[in-house]
Amino acid sequence: MRLFRLTVSTIFRRKAWAVCAFAVIALPFVLPMISMASERPAAIMMARIQASWATVLVTTLMWGLFSAARQGESNSRSGLGEYFLTTGVSSTRQWFEIWLAVMTFIVPITMIGTSICLFFAMPGDPAEHAMWWTTNLQFLFLFLLAMGPLLGLSVALASRFGGIAGFALTLGLAVYGLYGVAYLDNMLRLEPNAILSGIWKFSPQYRWADLTQRLYFKQGPIASQQFWELVAYFAGIFAVYTGISRLCFRTKSLA
Amino acid sequence: MSSVTTPLIRLGAGLEIGYGAPLARSGREIALTGGTHFLLARNGRGKTTLLRTLARTLKRVSGEFEATGFTQYLPEDLRFDPEISSAAIFRAMLPKSRVADALALADKIELDTKKLYGRLSTGNRRKASLIVAEFSVQPDKGNILLLDEPFSGLDAYARHAFEELWHQTGGHVLRLVSCHPDYDAMPMPSAVVIEKGEISHLTGEHQTWSSLKALLN
Repeated sequence: MRLFRLTVSTIFRRKAWAVCAFAVIALPFVLPMISMASERPAAIMMARIQASWATVLVTTLMWGLFSAARQGESNSRSGLGEYFLTTGVSSTRQWFEIWLAVMTFIVPITMIGTSICLFFAMPGDPAEHAMWWTTNLQFLFLFLLAMGPLLGLSVALASRFGGIAGFALTLGLAVYGLYGVAYLDNMLRLEPNAILSGIWKFSPQYRWADLTQRLYFKQGPIASQQFWELVAYFAGIFAVYTGISRLCFRTKSLA
Repeated sequence: MSSVTTPLIRLGAGLEIGYGAPLARSGREIALTGGTHFLLARNGRGKTTLLRTLARTLKRVSGEFEATGFTQYLPEDLRFDPEISSAAIFRAMLPKSRVADALALADKIELDTKKLYGRLSTGNRRKASLIVAEFSVQPDKGNILLLDEPFSGLDAYARHAFEELWHQTGGHVLRLVSCHPDYDAMPMPSAVVIEKGEISHLTGEHQTWSSLKALLN
């Protein structure tokens, strides 16, 4: 696990993770105070739910994908990928170790965001506490299951096509899966179209892993069967992205 | 010494290396075991190509070769992240039991291990890479170190320190070192030479760079 340790150490020493951690800790408390919610104390909790999960999402999409892309590119262009390959660390293993190092930072950041939402936006009614716990943990699980493969894809694409391509492509895919597919969905409801319908069917529906609205309106957890269907769906995306990542990942640059 | 701890590189007769088209060929079988072997050739003759072939990151054009042992290929342009210090690199890359020795050698050759890698000079970056490779050697196995131009940018004192380290290592480490020597008296009892597309192995107890350089014209 030398590459894992080196990557963790490198990301740690760049210190940008500290800014992300600070943002995830502070913004859920600061943003509601400077928003419209400051005039309605009852809305502060709702604003905190949105602020905490939005910060986790932005942190993961901007810093997480960027770090993953940077590490993937650096490994292939610095000669380190080739060095590790000669020591018996296969391409798949290198990709996995870099991905795992990035996840080492993303998982705690997501857990901090979840904890803030869980404890500092918890409904006052004790009868709702169990629902709150379950919904938040479902959100945490689905979020990591949805974002993990994107981070792996970012590592792989950047190792082959460069950091900018790796970051931009995966960020675009995430934004499309979070917001673009909903727009496409609305278009198809207004006017059916076979081609767009086909694109929609094969689009990653990341919005299904976003439970912010469910928390906001206290709709309760996703029903067990539906939750496991979602887990299977995102596990499928995980498998597909892992395959693509393995094919794309390079240990040395073509140049 | 058991065969488990004896590294071996064997280039079969007729081994051809290159990027698609043959660049160099070994006319006769060459066998290298533990110790230091220099790889000499003029620019573009196939030193890096041979090292990459032996490291199995480049396909051979034809023929057979064998490389037995824990292999490390240190590319000439290997570099670490500019925002990490050499000390952090050693702690991440080396076994815990070897970090102190690595830091001691770094101190001896005047490598500032607290300085960020990106702020080190070319020679000092080279020292960091070499220390990583040397202290990653596995004591219970045969090791092959394929070093591509390890001396480029290195001062004479640091080079001497590494050569001393090589002398101290037992026969469980085979080093194939590509280089362009800068002093005639440099001893080279074992040298793999690539010239006119031919890979050959020259040995001699008193063989020096002075006696070999005439072959490289």
